Amino acid sequence: MKFKNVATAGAILVASAIALSGCASSTPEATASATPSAAAVDYSSLSGTITAGGSSAQAAWTTAFTAQAKGVTINYDKSQGSGGGVTNWTAGSYDFAGSDSPLTKDQQTAATLCGPNGAINLPIYLDGVAIVYNLAGVDKLNLSAETLAKIFSLAITTWNDPAIAAENPDAKLPATPITTVTRSDGSGTTKTFTNFLSQTAKDVWTYPADSAWPIAGTSAQKGTSGIVQAVGAGDGTIGYADHSAIGELKAASVSVKGKDFVAFSPEAVTSAFEAAASTTDTGIKGDLAQTVDFTAISGTEAYPIPLVSYGILCTTYKDAKQKELTTAYLGWIGSDVGQKVAAKNAGAAQIPEKLLTEITASLALVK
Amino acid sequence: MSDRTSVESVSSTQPRQNTKSDSTTPLGGGTPAPAASPKRASRVRPADAIFRGLSTGSAIFIMVILAGVALFLIVQGMPAIVANWQSNPELNDGFTSAFDSFWAYVGPLLFGTLWSAAIALVLGAPIGIGIALFISHYAPRRLAGLLGYVVDLLAAVPSVVFGLWGIIVIRPFLLPLSDWLNTYLGWIPIFGGQVTTTGSTILAGAVVLAVMILPIITSISREIFLQTPRLHEEAALALGATRWEMVRLAVFPYAKSGIVSATLLGLGRALGETMAIAMIISPAVIVSFLVVTEGQNSQTIAANIALNFPIASTLQRQALIGTGLLLFVVSLAVNMIARSIVSRGSSKTGGKKKARPKPLVVPTGDATSTLTRDLVADKNTAAGPEGASA
Repeated sequence: MKFKNVATAGAILVASAIALSGCASSTPEATASATPSAAAVDYSSLSGTITAGGSSAQAAWTTAFTAQAKGVTINYDKSQGSGGGVTNWTAGSYDFAGSDSPLTKDQQTAATLCGPNGAINLPIYLDGVAIVYNLAGVDKLNLSAETLAKIFSLAITTWNDPAIAAENPDAKLPATPITTVTRSDGSGTTKTFTNFLSQTAKDVWTYPADSAWPIAGTSAQKGTSGIVQAVGAGDGTIGYADHSAIGELKAASVSVKGKDFVAFSPEAVTSAFEAAASTTDTGIKGDLAQTVDFTAISGTEAYPIPLVSYGILCTTYKDAKQKELTTAYLGWIGSDVGQKVAAKNAGAAQIPEKLLTEITASLALVK
Repeated sequence: MSDRTSVESVSSTQPRQNTKSDSTTPLGGGTPAPAASPKRASRVRPADAIFRGLSTGSAIFIMVILAGVALFLIVQGMPAIVANWQSNPELNDGFTSAFDSFWAYVGPLLFGTLWSAAIALVLGAPIGIGIALFISHYAPRRLAGLLGYVVDLLAAVPSVVFGLWGIIVIRPFLLPLSDWLNTYLGWIPIFGGQVTTTGSTILAGAVVLAVMILPIITSISREIFLQTPRLHEEAALALGATRWEMVRLAVFPYAKSGIVSATLLGLGRALGETMAIAMIISPAVIVSFLVVTEGQNSQTIAANIALNFPIASTLQRQALIGTGLLLFVVSLAVNMIARSIVSRGSSKTGGKKKARPKPLVVPTGDATSTLTRDLVADKNTAAGPEGASA
């Protein structure tokens, strides 16, 4: 029964993802065919099947890659979510896993399939967590980290609260009650957002970063699409979602310090990520797991809630052919072209160039 | 004679009932089989042995599967059930962190499962039985066939589709009703609380659940209603009962156990429903009776497993499997109760005719109806032996 349920969960995610990416799916081939010469490597000689899964964000590249590597089939199961992706990868079913958070120490230990040299996390996808809202008469909203923490911890319950009004002097805020919309399933977006709140609003937000939403009493919805649907359906709603999936919803401008509110843009995310992210020293050569210090983000050019997603793979492959395929694919994702494809298909931000160079170096270490 | 054939023609829709009546009344259709069997018994064909082996194997197989599932749930769930939830670091992280023991975690979930299924049943069962009654006793024959087909078709709709329908159609549709209930009937505890703005309530979930359990309740009730002895119905009508009185005096008493078991099987379906619930309801692992709020809807076991399974660590996964074990036990209990009611009911109606159940509603002060009931009962006791001896 459980497997049936997981399968149905998969089915809906796939269905909604297809629906969401429907309009975007025509672009990758165009992009790919327009820039075959830009890709330094010729992928046409590759053949085989890459099996992977996890974070739904990372499905953005498959079509574009297989368009130029005709012999390669990529089965990326985005219904798994980050947790399921890592679990299946640890069990040996995947060539790599897509995950919104790097491997924990325990997960690293559990990944015995990689041999003594362990596994590496490569940051390959960058996006932002958008604060989406639906409030009649308010088209522009500024929210500081502290106010966000108050709203999401249910300390503020109406839209005309002084804390919100102080940050939005020009907006006509109604007395509508606030409905906070959160995720009912575990999610990397939730983890990033709670991490952001716990770092930037320590006094208000006393919960640790977690992939499960910590507070009862919110409107909890299944999946990013569930949040987008619920926020759009109600009046006075506010929620958080991966920016690439918010559709027509309005998103608030966010600030860490309470001034210089910044609206989402891919460039603002990239510049925030450059300022805040540093490579964690895990003791594994080539590992590029990032630690994001949200408090370091400031200024009018950086969007404060960047969301990074990793490709997780072994440093040692048992099968040389799978190694070649996987590193070729991830290498392409970590190239300038791959990043542009993600930007075009999913509205994602680009990983800073310095990090892209490091990804290439890390992939070269994979045996 | 004509009476008996008409009864037979109606009851032939259900084979189980057929064999029961075979034992009491030697019918035309039953006689050739015993006569032919001695001939066949002398020659054992290989096909017989193979088929017998296959069907016996299938029967054993299903028992093995059930036992295997139970064993899997117990073995996998036990570590989390006996674990110390207060000190275990794995359980103090993420979605299990707020709970002191397995029972504190599974308690609200079990409540939510039963509560949502109960609301669905209250909404769905009367409609399901009403549809069944319409099909069996009111609708013109052609419409009845079509309607039965359509209701059965409802069972073929995937629950994901029901979930989407719930989110996109039922949630906004129920918003005004939720507001109204909260404003004017908010003094009744279950309609109180902070009213929803997106419609993501247990009420919306239960309405969709009610639609989902309609087919099972309708099809079982319909079969039972169709088995009502024509003799009883005609007797009631002959005594001047209206159509509704006939249904109340002849059909309902006969079908009482069938209705109960149909309802319980519907309950079993509602208990295990996952995807539609996970998609529609905004859940919280709490015990709450409120039905029109956003943040205070009790979560169900099945939906909780579906939502948290992907992010669960090993022990958390085992905790989820432990909650699954409890759902398994509850569903099994509900189904067993339903089956036992069915078998008790059928042995009453099929075997001992004298021990007929009393009418559900005994009308008072209505001379005709009381008379009808008595006469029907008399006719009934008389009909049993008469039919047997004929």
